[in-house]
Amino acid sequence: MAENGQAPDWNALTDDEFRRVAREFFETHVPQHLRYLSRRPRWAEVKDWYLTMSRHGWLVPSWPKEWGGMGLSQSKVLVYLEELERSGAPRVMDQGLMNIGPLLIARGTDEQRRRFLPKILSGEQTWCQGYSEPNAGSDLASLRTEARIEGDEFVINGSKIWTSVAFDATHMFALVRTDKTVKKQAGISFVMIDMRQPGVTVRPIRNIAGHEELCEVFLDNVRTPVANMVGGLNEGWNVAKALLGFERIWSGSPRQSMLALLRLRMLAKASGKMADPVFVDKLAQVTMDVLDAASAYERFAQIMRTGGSFGFEVSMLKIWATETCQRATELMVEAAGDLGGLIGNVDVEGETLDILYPFLECRAFTIYGGSSQVQRNILAKNVLELPS
Amino acid sequence: MQDANTLEAQHETGMLRESAVDFVRRNIETKKLRERRRTLPGYDAGTLSHMAELGWLGIVVPEPYGGLGLGFAEMAVVLQELGKGLMADPMLSVAFAGRVLQHGTNEALKQSLLPPLVEGRLLPCVAWQEVQGGIDPKAIATRAEADGEDVLLTGSKRFVAGAAGAGGFVVSARSSSGYGLYWVTSDAPGVTVRYEWRADETPSGIVELRSVRVSADNVVCAASEGGLAALERAVDEAAVLAAAEMLGVVEAALQMALAYMRTRVQFDKPIGSFQALQHKAADLYVQQELVRAVLQDAVRELDGDGDALERARLASRCKARGSDAGLRVTREVIQLHGAIGFTDEYDAGLYLKRALVLSAFLGNATAHRRRFATLQEDTLAV
Repeated sequence: MAENGQAPDWNALTDDEFRRVAREFFETHVPQHLRYLSRRPRWAEVKDWYLTMSRHGWLVPSWPKEWGGMGLSQSKVLVYLEELERSGAPRVMDQGLMNIGPLLIARGTDEQRRRFLPKILSGEQTWCQGYSEPNAGSDLASLRTEARIEGDEFVINGSKIWTSVAFDATHMFALVRTDKTVKKQAGISFVMIDMRQPGVTVRPIRNIAGHEELCEVFLDNVRTPVANMVGGLNEGWNVAKALLGFERIWSGSPRQSMLALLRLRMLAKASGKMADPVFVDKLAQVTMDVLDAASAYERFAQIMRTGGSFGFEVSMLKIWATETCQRATELMVEAAGDLGGLIGNVDVEGETLDILYPFLECRAFTIYGGSSQVQRNILAKNVLELPS
Repeated sequence: MQDANTLEAQHETGMLRESAVDFVRRNIETKKLRERRRTLPGYDAGTLSHMAELGWLGIVVPEPYGGLGLGFAEMAVVLQELGKGLMADPMLSVAFAGRVLQHGTNEALKQSLLPPLVEGRLLPCVAWQEVQGGIDPKAIATRAEADGEDVLLTGSKRFVAGAAGAGGFVVSARSSSGYGLYWVTSDAPGVTVRYEWRADETPSGIVELRSVRVSADNVVCAASEGGLAALERAVDEAAVLAAAEMLGVVEAALQMALAYMRTRVQFDKPIGSFQALQHKAADLYVQQELVRAVLQDAVRELDGDGDALERARLASRCKARGSDAGLRVTREVIQLHGAIGFTDEYDAGLYLKRALVLSAFLGNATAHRRRFATLQEDTLAV
């Protein structure tokens, strides 16, 4: 809720006007010491910033105003996210804001909305996503974490993996198997689990960039009320797919590759590489690749803006944006020469840069959220109509 | 948020696309394309007059000069559709020359040349590149020497698209006072035209000028009046249009390969079911969609009132992406077909050769990448 209890009608502004307001808001309020971090901060570090946004009514762009959101149209949500990114704001615990909140608003019961939404706004509840499992990655539907009904509760056993920041989450939304006798997609349910109970064990996984953000979560006789299921029993696969709508365009935004390019140019300037014509040609190539990614993204954003819809062709965005980002970081390592073999912050002619971090970090981009190969399968089957 | 103008424009574009699609469906015949190889003028005269009747030669010519006064969005749509049928010649070279004339400062010349251009009675083309090609309009040796009120042009122009069948040439030349643009009719004394053959065996002109007399009436743009600025702007515009035709080539070639992949059976399965081929096809699709996206931005830039720098950057991005993607897709389409794709009787090769022509025309990907690098502003918004 905004401080005066009455949220403004943001959609009355043009996208450009709203962009100016958003830019000013983030410029004013994002704490300086948290801008442009090269790691995902812990909840304790960013909770104050989260509450600041909440207090001003700027925490959730997409929720309707009646639930304390900004009620933005989809195109303004994009503007919001672009400006948030631009300001260098740190990533907060956003699974509640971006995923479970909108899902409850669309598909939850009134009781679920009342019980969960206010506590997400107040920061009392922080959420993580329990989808992948050790043996269910790209083939997500083969997941085996099992939920059996005992009275009015589910009893859940299994494990989830690649769960981001599970150690800071109070709750998890998860896909669980509730019927083993049917086609794998047809026996899955979508449940919400309180992590603060015996039987939940979180083990952080150190990634190749040296950060511990991903986790494995073990669920050993963990209980959750049947009332915490979203959608009907065995309807979880469709519930999860409904969540992917917005993610499909956002995961293909050029923001990561823009950032990679910026870092590459910083290195090039500091190291004097701009005098090397071979490098300059490669830089122009990757710069054009990034700008073309932005043009493609804008094309889809425009369709969204004018109330249109698109199908699976949006998969091309994620493939191109993430692979371009990787090429930019690869060029950075190559351009760094001997410095490309040094880990952490290194001195480049008086400038301090971390050359390997962007390269290592973006290895994940082509894997999560549907790997590059899965996206190509999607294009081949659904857009190019090739046989299976 | 679309105002009535945009909707009207979309309606206009939709109608033009429909009529271009229809035109290609009725007239496409790759057999004739093969028969015309190494003949002049390299396109079908009947097809050309049909295009003129439809008003297409005047899409980007303002109404006072007899044109339709539409934008690049409309022109791009028509070229894209014609590109699918490999039948866009000579629209692009004529549009290119029309734009140089329009950007020039000689009003009387515009009034005398543009209406017959629109009607298809007098086809102009641009003679600007020389022995090495390249996209720097100033890298030329052709001289303009003053001779009383007139100038005399001497030099050799190369890579002149549309030279066969052209009624005249817009020629760039240098003089002691700078660079200028001149209108020379193809029958003027001292003009000789020879031909080289492009990848698709359509002609590319070499125009020799020996003391060709140009009266003051036929100066398109004098050195004191902006010199080559009119040419520079038209090169950007034509480069974007070349990418539009390339998009059509890419779309048709990819569709051909996909259709083949759905039906060609090997190892008891359609080859389109093999993941190695599916992923290759998906990558080609990504390239096709990138061309479409950049083209849309570039066309919008040309139809707006952007500044020259932004126009040039977008034109280079568009032409570079179009050239790279065009060559890659048409090459890979041959690979996806296997041996049949390597035969002259199969159409896949025709698309590859058109892609080779369009890729090289008005600067290939490397040339535009290099230009982009020099144009690139120092900062990039995050």
